[in-house]
Amino acid sequence: MKNVKEPIKKPWIWMVMIVILVLGVPWYFPESAVYPIIFGFPLWAFVSVIMTVVLSWYLSYLCKHEWNIVEDEEERQNGEVQ
Amino acid sequence: MNDLTFSGWSGVTILLVYALLMLGVGVWSYLSDKKSGTNIQETMSGYYLAGKNLGLVALFFTLYATQYSGNTVVGYAASGYRMGYAWWMSVPYMIIIIGGYLLFAPRLYALAKRHEFLTPTDWLEHRFNSKAVSLLATFFMVWGLGNYLLEQLVAIGQGVQGLTAGTIPYQYAVIFFVIVMVVYEWLGGMKAVAFTDVIQGISLLVGLAVMLIGGFVLTGGHFGEVANYIATNAPEKIAVPPMKVNNQWFSMLILVGVGAAVYPHAIQRIYSAKSERILKKSLSRMAWMPLVTTGVVFAIGIISIQIFPGLDKMGSEQLVGLFANKVAGLGGFYYFMMLLLFGGIVAAVISTADSVLLSLQSMVSQDIYGRYINPGAPDTKKIKVGKIVGLIVIAFLIYIAWNPPGTLFEIFVLKFEILIQIAPAFMLGLYWKRLSKWPVFIGMLSGGALAGIMTWTGHKTIAGWYGGVIGLVLNITICVIGSYLVSMGAEEQIKNQKATAL
Repeated sequence: MKNVKEPIKKPWIWMVMIVILVLGVPWYFPESAVYPIIFGFPLWAFVSVIMTVVLSWYLSYLCKHEWNIVEDEEERQNGEVQ
Repeated sequence: MNDLTFSGWSGVTILLVYALLMLGVGVWSYLSDKKSGTNIQETMSGYYLAGKNLGLVALFFTLYATQYSGNTVVGYAASGYRMGYAWWMSVPYMIIIIGGYLLFAPRLYALAKRHEFLTPTDWLEHRFNSKAVSLLATFFMVWGLGNYLLEQLVAIGQGVQGLTAGTIPYQYAVIFFVIVMVVYEWLGGMKAVAFTDVIQGISLLVGLAVMLIGGFVLTGGHFGEVANYIATNAPEKIAVPPMKVNNQWFSMLILVGVGAAVYPHAIQRIYSAKSERILKKSLSRMAWMPLVTTGVVFAIGIISIQIFPGLDKMGSEQLVGLFANKVAGLGGFYYFMMLLLFGGIVAAVISTADSVLLSLQSMVSQDIYGRYINPGAPDTKKIKVGKIVGLIVIAFLIYIAWNPPGTLFEIFVLKFEILIQIAPAFMLGLYWKRLSKWPVFIGMLSGGALAGIMTWTGHKTIAGWYGGVIGLVLNITICVIGSYLVSMGAEEQIKNQKATAL
């Protein structure tokens, strides 16, 4: 049985991505959210930085674990060639 | 960027070294091809897609160096300086490009291998089998890429002139590097472009790292104090952004996320991957790169608010020069590394320009000459035509760069706005068998026209939403509603399903 994985087929992938993106945009902060300043970032920007790192991790994870279409076939062929 | 402590002839030397390295890569690609028989010069896929055989290192760096241009460093630092912390948006919007790839690359890669696609239009032809769609898309892509190339040529001139403090005048710099670029590209095609990208990408990364270290030294290692300084002296740059800026932020995520992934040269990098595993690995690494590229550039912009207070718009455009100058002033090691950085910035521009040029040539060879003018021509002839037309296009663009037309200059500004309009034909066309050709054509045309009109009339954004995004929404709406209205026979639906099946 071929184990085909294609990101477009899984709605949860895109819902999680949209949540990460929306949370990364600072539209829900009160004006006072400049303080405290954390590692040189105002609070609102620090939260955005965290969400950005989460976004990188998430996309990197998706590429590696949720995408598998012709890989098995290709790697098998490669193996045969070698 | 005048009066740099490290400019002048040392700058000229580093540029010559870079130029020689790139030419060396071109010669190496040419010779190694002769040995291994990958047919770079004989077949279209050999020349334009490196025989669809790019390994992890080459693919990763060619994705990286092509995506980040010199402007990413010079222009983005200035934006960070002017906008303050809200410019952090430049990091997530470069990351989300990988999300854009995930919308279509997995399936497109598999189909491209099976049906031997060479250009983005090959896919459109395969799916829609419509002259109108193929020609309009090719026109949009050639136009957008032409303007993109024009921007890079201007950037090469400015970068070199800045680095050498005018020792090399703007015009000579452009001519010299265009010759270098064309020579290595003619010698080695995509293979040479990808391997020069390895050098170009590494020098950019190293330069940025040292610049960040220099920035820490200059501020005494207290990034927190920089924030306090900004809160006291320029509070608007640290305040929670107003709604309009947040809208702009989110609309940039869509515009860049979708648009940059469907850049024709980006699509051709998907085609060029040696295997799915290598493509996946490259993209998963690319997801981290904005943090160490636009993220570092952002930090340099922010630190500069304290180091160089009170620069106006023009002054802030010189920021990277000023900053590098100050870092170079720290002494020997920093001086040398800043020299490398400037070479790296010029290299980053060239690495973007060469990819754009190659992609443009491939469309001339395949989509115009090979499809309509001389379909029976052998590959070597098609490649030759592409090379020569590419040269003519560059000559024309250099002419435009030196003699900017007084009116209608906006024609040469449209890039992203129109390139992004081909996205629905890829992202919807790959999965939705009902999507039919006329709605795609009308949607693409209307979206491009709306975005173009907004740019020409000076309405780049409405309430923070970019013309390109508004045009894209119109485009998608027409595609979807139109496809439901057009009746499609069962036979055609089956044909479409076959065209997109894995």
